Amino acid sequence: MRDDSEKWDVPQPIDCVHKANGITLAPATLSRQVLFSGPSVLAQTEQPIASWPDIVAAHSYALSIRRDRVLQVNGPAASEGWHGDTCQAVTDASDAYAVFDISGERSLEVLKRGAELSLDVPSKSVARILFNLGVFLYRYEAETKFRIHVASGHAEALVRSLKVAIAAS
Amino acid sequence: MTSHRTSRVALIDRLQPLRFSFDGKEYQGYKGDTLASALLANGVRVMGRSFKYHRPRGPWGAWVDDPNAIMTVTLNGRTFPNCPATTTPLVEGMQARAVNAWPSAAFDIKSGLDVFHRWLSAGFYYKTFMWPNWHLFEPMIRKMAGLGDISRDVLKGYSADQVFDHCQVLVIGGGAAGLAAARAAAEAGKGVVLVDDHPVLGGGLHQMPEIEGIAPADWIAEQASAITSAGGRILTATTAFGVYDHGLVGLAENGPFGTAPRLHRMRAERIVLATGALDRPITFTGNDRPGVMSVDGACEYLARYGVLVGRRIALVSNNSLADAAEVMLKEAGAQLIRLNPHDGPLQALGGKQTKGISQGSQHHAVDTILASGGMTPLVHLWRHAGGKLDWCEIRQALLPGTAPDGMVAVGAVNGAFDLDVSLSEARTAGAGKTPGVSPTSYGLAALWPDPGSKGRQWIDFQHDVTLKDVELAARENYVSVEHLKRYTTLGMASDQGKTSNMAGLAAMAAVQGRPLPEVGTTTFRPPFVPVPLEMYHGHHGKQLWHPLKRLALEPQHRAAEAALGEYGGWLRPGWYGRGKAKNLIHQEVLTARTSAGIFDASPLGKIEVLGPDAEAFVNFIYYNTISTLKPGHIRYGFMLTEGGSVMDDGVIARLDQNRFVISCSSSHVDSVRTHLEAWRQDGNDPDRIFIHDLTQHWATITVAGPKARDILAALALDVDLPAQEFPHMTLRETRFDDTPLRIARVSFTGDLSYELSIRRTKAPALWDAVVKAGVALEAAPIGIEALSILRAEKGYIMVGKDTDGETMPHDLGFGIPRLKKPVAFIGDRSLHSDKANASNRKALVGLAVPTGDTLLPTGAHLVEDTPPRSLGYVTSSYDSPTLGHPIALGLVENGAARIGETVSVWHLGDIRKATICAPCAFDPEGERLNA
Repeated sequence: MRDDSEKWDVPQPIDCVHKANGITLAPATLSRQVLFSGPSVLAQTEQPIASWPDIVAAHSYALSIRRDRVLQVNGPAASEGWHGDTCQAVTDASDAYAVFDISGERSLEVLKRGAELSLDVPSKSVARILFNLGVFLYRYEAETKFRIHVASGHAEALVRSLKVAIAAS
Repeated sequence: MTSHRTSRVALIDRLQPLRFSFDGKEYQGYKGDTLASALLANGVRVMGRSFKYHRPRGPWGAWVDDPNAIMTVTLNGRTFPNCPATTTPLVEGMQARAVNAWPSAAFDIKSGLDVFHRWLSAGFYYKTFMWPNWHLFEPMIRKMAGLGDISRDVLKGYSADQVFDHCQVLVIGGGAAGLAAARAAAEAGKGVVLVDDHPVLGGGLHQMPEIEGIAPADWIAEQASAITSAGGRILTATTAFGVYDHGLVGLAENGPFGTAPRLHRMRAERIVLATGALDRPITFTGNDRPGVMSVDGACEYLARYGVLVGRRIALVSNNSLADAAEVMLKEAGAQLIRLNPHDGPLQALGGKQTKGISQGSQHHAVDTILASGGMTPLVHLWRHAGGKLDWCEIRQALLPGTAPDGMVAVGAVNGAFDLDVSLSEARTAGAGKTPGVSPTSYGLAALWPDPGSKGRQWIDFQHDVTLKDVELAARENYVSVEHLKRYTTLGMASDQGKTSNMAGLAAMAAVQGRPLPEVGTTTFRPPFVPVPLEMYHGHHGKQLWHPLKRLALEPQHRAAEAALGEYGGWLRPGWYGRGKAKNLIHQEVLTARTSAGIFDASPLGKIEVLGPDAEAFVNFIYYNTISTLKPGHIRYGFMLTEGGSVMDDGVIARLDQNRFVISCSSSHVDSVRTHLEAWRQDGNDPDRIFIHDLTQHWATITVAGPKARDILAALALDVDLPAQEFPHMTLRETRFDDTPLRIARVSFTGDLSYELSIRRTKAPALWDAVVKAGVALEAAPIGIEALSILRAEKGYIMVGKDTDGETMPHDLGFGIPRLKKPVAFIGDRSLHSDKANASNRKALVGLAVPTGDTLLPTGAHLVEDTPPRSLGYVTSSYDSPTLGHPIALGLVENGAARIGETVSVWHLGDIRKATICAPCAFDPEGERLNA
C-alpha cells in the first residue's frame, strides 16, 4: 500500500500528434473494430484481409489475427452474439484497441527497435509483439506508413516506446 | 623510453593531437590511438595491477586479448569503470586511472601483498577464513576484490539504443577472410552484413606490406566498396559478443566514448565466422612482467598506431609466423634477437620494467620480450552456437569441428594461417559452400607449461593464477576443467580464457599425464567481451519496464487526488485524497457502508464465451453448475486447476443461449483467457466455442452501498431498479448517452451493489455522472484498499491472497458441487483424492483478537504449542472501521471444527492469542444486499 502516482507520468491525450526526426506518430480514428470468429471466417470475410507486408488501401478491411479470427476495421455495423447461419461469433471491440499511424521515410527503422521486422518475410497474420506488447501491425495507404493496434490499456506504453525509438532513430 | 612512436605510416591522424592524463600525469596522443597505444607511445609500460598480488602489469595484447590494462576513465565529469585500455579510443581530455591500484599503477600501496604469495595460493580463503565464520571476513574480502569501482552517480542520458535486424549472411570479422567472404556473398546476391570490432577494417592486414599485389589499405577499400556496391552493409566498431538460438547474434555497436553501445539483435540465416586467432602466452618464470607482450600485439601497435613497443627486443616463438614479425620490427628500428623456447628454461629479468631475459646460462639485456607459444583460434562464438571443437596436432590448437546449423568458420579461426589459403576458404564460404580441410605451411613445435619447473610462471595474468596453482588444484582433485576454473579463478572476468585457457588446460593435462584433448575445455558463454548492462537494458526501464495497463479514468482519478499504485498489472487508485492514508481509507469504508462507494472496477475480466457449445464448455470449466443459468442471470463460481485447487473466482453472466460473459479477477484475466483457450482446444470442438477477451473494450464502474440504487435512479436509465424487478445476481442491458450499458447486480462488499459496464471511451462521461449523482447522497469514490477491507469484513476471499496453491473449493466452504455435480468439470478427479479428503486440510476461517488488541500481522503463523508446529497462517488482516476492531482471515488446519478455539499466533518471535471464528464478521445474514 503506497502512493506511486509520481512514478507514472500523466497519460498524454490520445489525440496528441508527435513529430520528430521526420517521423509522424498520430492516433488513427476508426469508426468501428469488430471481432469475428468462426471456422471459415477468413473465407467468409468480404473485406480485403490485411497481411504482411502488403499495403492496405481500403477504408474498410479486416485483419487476420489467427486462422479462425479476424478484426474487421471500419466495417458495417454487425449484431453481436453467435450467428448460427454463418457459424460466427461477433463482438464489438472498438474500444479494446487503441490505433496509431506511424509514417515517415524511416518509420520501419523506428519499428525495428521494437520487433524483428522484415519486408522480405511475409505473413498472413498481422499479430506481432512490438516493444513487448501484443499488437496488430501492417502497412496502411503507403509504403512508409504503418498502422498499429494495441490493447487500450497499453496505449501509453506503446506511444512512449515509439517516442523513444523515434528519438534514437 | 623503451616503447615509443615511430614515423611509420599508421592509422592515427598525426594532425590531431589529443591531451589526456593517466594516474594524474599529462600525456599526448593522436586521434586514432587507443589509451594503451597512446601510453606506450609515451613510454608508459605499467598500466595496471593484477587482481590478487597487485603485481605491475603492462599490456599483453593490442586489442580484446589484453587482460592487464584496465582503467577507470573520466571524461567531461562522467566516470566509466573497467575500460580496457587496448580497446578504448583516445579522446581529448580523458582522465584515466588504473583500477586495482592506489595511488597509481606505478606505485601501488598494496603491492606488498606479493610478499605473502606463498600463503595466498588458489583457494586460500576457502581454507583460511573458515574460523570463526566466513561471514566475518567476507565484507573485507569483497571490498578488496573486484576491479574498478562503479560510480554512484546516475549517468543521465546514458541509454542504449536497441535494434532488431535480419540478414541472409552475417560475416563476423573484418580481416582478410571476413572481407573476402562478405564480398563473395554480396556479389552472389545475398543480403550481407559484415561486422568488425575495430573502427577500421582490415584485421591483421595492416601489418603486411601488400596483399594480392596491392597495398593493404587499397585492398581493404576495394573489398569494402565491392561489398556495399552489391548491397551489403558494413558495421565497424561493432562486436559480435554472443551467438544465441536460431541464428540470433548479439552485436554491440560502439559509438563515441561515454555513450552506451547500440544493441543489434541480428537474426542471420547464415553466419560466416572469420574471427581470427590470437597469440598465446608462453609460460616461463616472470612472464607477467610489464614488457612481456604478444608478438602479434607488438605488430599491431606498430601497424595501427606507429608505436614500437621496445628498442631491444627478445622474440621468443615456437612458430613460423614470427618470421614476418621479426622483419617488420627490425625495419621499424628495433634491435631484435630470436630465442627458441625449446633451448632451455626462460626467465624474464627485472621488476616493473623488463631488464632482460635469461635462458640457461645465457643472459640477454633487452627491454621487451615478445612471446608466442602458437596461435589460438578465437572459437568463442563457435562454441556459443554449440559447435564442436577438434584437436589439430599440426597446429596444436582446438579448431572448429562439427558445425552448428548455419555457421561456417574461415580463415585463421579455422586454422588457415596462410593468407592465400584463408582467402580461398573465405571465398568458398561466401559463395555458400563449405570449405574443406586446407593445407598449411604453418609450423610449430609443441610448447606447453612444464609442471614442476622452478619459478613463478603465470597462466592467468589478470587473476594471478600460476602454474603452481594449477598443480595445487590437481593435487586437491579439482581436475575437471570446470572445477579448475572455479577453484583457481582461471579464465574468469574480462579475459574469459582468451589468453589463459589453453595454458591452463595444457598445464592440467601435463600434471595428469593426459593428452590435452582429453582434458577438454571450459564452456564459453556470452558476452565475448565486457559490455555495459545498459546495453541489455535499453529503454526497458522505469515506466517501460513491464509497463502497467492504464485506466480510461486515470485523469479523473488524478483530478480526485488518487494515490495510484500497481494492482494486478494495472495502475489503479489505492485511495483518494491527501493526508494520512489509513484515515482516508477508513473514511472511504464508512462512506461505502453508510452511503455508497464509487469504484473503478474496469480491470475486472470481461471474457465472452460464444458458440453452440458455450453452455457445455462453461459448465465444464466451472466447478459450479452453470448450465442451469438463465439468460440475464449471474452466478458466482470457481475455476479450478486440474489439480483441483482454486485458480480464480468470480461471476459469470449469461447474455443469451449461446453467449456468456466471465468476470474473472482483475489480475487473472490473462491466465483465465489462456486457460479457456487451452481447454477449448483440448477435448472440445474449437469450431463451436470461441473466446473473445473484451476486458479492455469495457470499463466498469461499481456503485456499492445502501444508497447505490438512489444513485442509479439519478442517472435516469431505462431500467427498473426496484429489487423485485432487478434482483441480486441478475443483469440488465440498457443505454447511457446512447451507448450500450450493462448493469450487473452483484456485490463484493455485502451491500447493495451495481456494476456498470460501458465502452472505454464513454467511461469518463458515465463516471462524472455517477460521481455527480453521488454527491448529494454523500457517496464518493473509493480505492482498492477500502474495497479490500469491505470484502474482508464479509469474509469474501481474494484468490491468491486468501488461498494458496493447494486450496480447494471445499476448503472455502463450497463443497456441494464436488459431491453433487453430475457432469465432468476441470479438477473433478483431484477433488476426490485422499489428499482432498484429508481431515487436516487448511480451511478458511475468521480470526478475532481480544478486545483492545491490535491487528494480526498478515503471514503470521497460527501455532500449536505441543509439539510446536504451524497449523496455518493469517491471509488478510485489517482494522475494520465499520466494526471498530481488527478483523482477519486465515487458513488453518481443520478450520471448521476449530471455530471458537483460541490459538497462539506467532510472528517474528512474538506470540499472541486469537480466536477462530466464522469468516464473515459483518452482516452474516446478508440483509444489506437488498439495502
